[in-house]
Amino acid sequence: MAIRWNITQIAPSEFTERGTAGPAVAVSQRPAAPRVAAVVAVRRLAAFFLVCVAALYATDRGIDAGLRRIQTSDFGIFNRLVSGHINAEILITGSSRALSHYDSRIIQQATGYETFNIGLNGSQTDMQLAVLKTYLRHNRRPSLLVHNLDSFAFETTHQAAFFPGLYLPYLNEEPLYETLEHIDRNIWKSKQLPLYGYAVEDMNFTWLAGLGGLIGWNPPENRRLGFEPRYTSWTGDFESFKRRNPDGIRFPIEPEGIAVFEALLRLCRELGIPVILVYSPVYHQMRALERNREEVFARLHELAERYGASLWDFGGSPIALDRAYFYNSQHMNADGAARFSEDLAEALVHAEWVKPKTVQPSVPRRHGAFAGTRPFRPADDRQ
Amino acid sequence: MLFNSLEFAIFFPVVVILYFVTPYRARTFLVLVASCAFYMAFIPAYLLILALTIGIDYAAGLWLERTTGRPRRALLIVSVVATCAILFVFKYFNFFIDSFVTSARAFGWEVAGPAISIILPIGLSFHTFQSLSYVIEVYYGRQKAERDFITYATYVMFFPQLVAGPIERPQNLLHQFHQIHSFDYERITSGLKRMAWGFFKKLVIADRLALYVNDVYASPQNFNGLQLTIATVFFAYQIYCDFSGYSDIAIGSARVLGFRLMENFRTPYYAASISEFWRRWHISLSTWFRDYVYLPQGGSRVSTPRWFRNLLVTFALSGLWHGANWTYVVWGVLNGVYLIAGIMTNPLRDRGYQLLGIKRNGVVRTFIAVGTTFALTCCGWVIFRAESLSDAWYIFGHFWRGWDINELRTEQFALRQMPAAVLSIVFLEAVQWLHGRRPLPKLIAEYPLAVRWPVYVGFVLAVVLLGVYRQNQFIYFQF
Repeated sequence: MAIRWNITQIAPSEFTERGTAGPAVAVSQRPAAPRVAAVVAVRRLAAFFLVCVAALYATDRGIDAGLRRIQTSDFGIFNRLVSGHINAEILITGSSRALSHYDSRIIQQATGYETFNIGLNGSQTDMQLAVLKTYLRHNRRPSLLVHNLDSFAFETTHQAAFFPGLYLPYLNEEPLYETLEHIDRNIWKSKQLPLYGYAVEDMNFTWLAGLGGLIGWNPPENRRLGFEPRYTSWTGDFESFKRRNPDGIRFPIEPEGIAVFEALLRLCRELGIPVILVYSPVYHQMRALERNREEVFARLHELAERYGASLWDFGGSPIALDRAYFYNSQHMNADGAARFSEDLAEALVHAEWVKPKTVQPSVPRRHGAFAGTRPFRPADDRQ
Repeated sequence: MLFNSLEFAIFFPVVVILYFVTPYRARTFLVLVASCAFYMAFIPAYLLILALTIGIDYAAGLWLERTTGRPRRALLIVSVVATCAILFVFKYFNFFIDSFVTSARAFGWEVAGPAISIILPIGLSFHTFQSLSYVIEVYYGRQKAERDFITYATYVMFFPQLVAGPIERPQNLLHQFHQIHSFDYERITSGLKRMAWGFFKKLVIADRLALYVNDVYASPQNFNGLQLTIATVFFAYQIYCDFSGYSDIAIGSARVLGFRLMENFRTPYYAASISEFWRRWHISLSTWFRDYVYLPQGGSRVSTPRWFRNLLVTFALSGLWHGANWTYVVWGVLNGVYLIAGIMTNPLRDRGYQLLGIKRNGVVRTFIAVGTTFALTCCGWVIFRAESLSDAWYIFGHFWRGWDINELRTEQFALRQMPAAVLSIVFLEAVQWLHGRRPLPKLIAEYPLAVRWPVYVGFVLAVVLLGVYRQNQFIYFQF
């Protein structure tokens, strides 16, 4: 299409980059400068647009590839998970409480069974189930699943996943994608539009880690057989929580949350994976603020019974009474996790859930500050 | 429709393509339709309010040209009052009623005022002022009344500047709808570059800083002095990048279509005095108030007390224009006071600098003046941004208390965001400084394509990756 350049055309020089408001009439008084012919101009604009799109796609793919190459931290765990390199005999699942409470090394040493923790920060049961399904697609079935319980076990994820960037390189994993799609219908944009997920959904500069991964950089390792020890002392978050909720809180029991929880138990039953539901210690003062704990536990007991799972409540453990083991009401620090993991391992052996393959003589059964203390044994539903 | 939305990313290229393939005569109508679609993306029904002001002022313009003498003046008043009444009802009615009720209660008189529950139409203050400037210009005979309704409606509704300006004068914009804007590669790419720079300011700087500012200003009592200080400086950059970013996108997108909009900002934080600041900040509004409020009162060509009164009245009204809240009024008055104080202390400051041996145009004096102006502006921004005057007072009283370098983060703003926030501000300043020495687009244009394109593509990628996309509205939309 030929373009007619006429006198009323506005010369580019009049659109001064920093210029003041120019003359009122924006009609060129100068002879026309050499211009790019219209067809060439359109082609050039289209070419630039295509180069941009190509760059966006290339960067997106590069970030994905980089994140998939990371061998440490959360991405390291996920990469091992989707590449089928975990194959644990005892698998630990759950939220951040699972992640930071179950020291896989202690459990593994006490039982002799390969143990791995795939707890997920800031997750509800729906995301935990999605990750478990993904795990089971790529790894051998575990001999035992230890699923950590939270008071919000029957609550589903609303609005968006806690750390959306973590899932972006794995959107081709069906169980993950389906769950994310259920949470946010716009997740297709993260899958189809280049960089959308990294730019719009993620606020953690995950793309930087991806670019680093491309050149072989790995973030500092913070996971030990999946377990993430938290070397933190009491933060005071609980005090502000108490101030904000002087009358305590009720944990939602959503029908959909119950359905997801049932789906998790059903899946394990169908695959013949024994399940222990473990309620790890919560700081004792928190119990007074949980207004519907009994109601939540009644549901949990009912579901555990229906699906042949065991439910162990460590809520009464002496650990719960000692603030030194926690950094907030819900989360134990590394010391608390160590003590709790020893108690749990001891309970697993004692209740004959697992027969110890090897007991490492070099590892004392109760060490450090807990030496000489008696392990806490929760009541086992099965007995 | 927000500029920083996926919808606009589709809308704009479609409009541009349609614009250049449409016959010249139909282009204005096309822009009007596009502008209606753009505005209806917010609240469709509010298009009727715009239609009402357009109808009033279009008719008023035509009648004003035909009338003379007293009826002409009366017609102007009717038109101005009718246009302002719409603004008053939607923006100020509840504010004045609440203020009246509060004042009455202070005197022990219990009254219950009526309140109307309505949402302020987006950008109402902007197009009201643009409409008013048309009628006033026609009244003074500086602008011919527009006969073509479509053209007039498009002038008021032109989508790039519909919701947050620049507030154009008819002399600058209206006639451009009668011109033929051909497809010009240089102009289009220049507009796109301007838009990209606007998106950088908005998405990369303003919206990231907003995460911090929103948390701190929502409950200043929960934050220490250092956080209050950071939030205030961040807000200074947030509001600048938000609003000037919008103006850049508006100017750039209009330029792509062939229209020239006025510049709205000229590196305001480089101002060495408050009066200079106001010559660099929101220029289209400042000049509007100068021409239609300040000068008609007599401006500075009156006795000194009256001059100062004129300044205070103008700035108080400017504050009120920004929002129906006393914080804005106080902010406006404070800026008036700054100006008056600047005028009164000018000789004293000159003598002080002389005594200290600091040269008039030297680097040291400029540095002190720019720093002082920025600090004073930040104090103004505290009042502007605070939820209430008591919050502003609290912030002023706690700037220096309890500084704790380990307590920098807020709920929305993790510490890892801080380097990105600070570096983006540094980048902005560096670019502005370089641009002041030599326009960067021209500098880059000197390089071959193999250099230029990677620079442009890299910039696009940077905006995409470093931007914050939470569908944050532009701050000035609320005005």
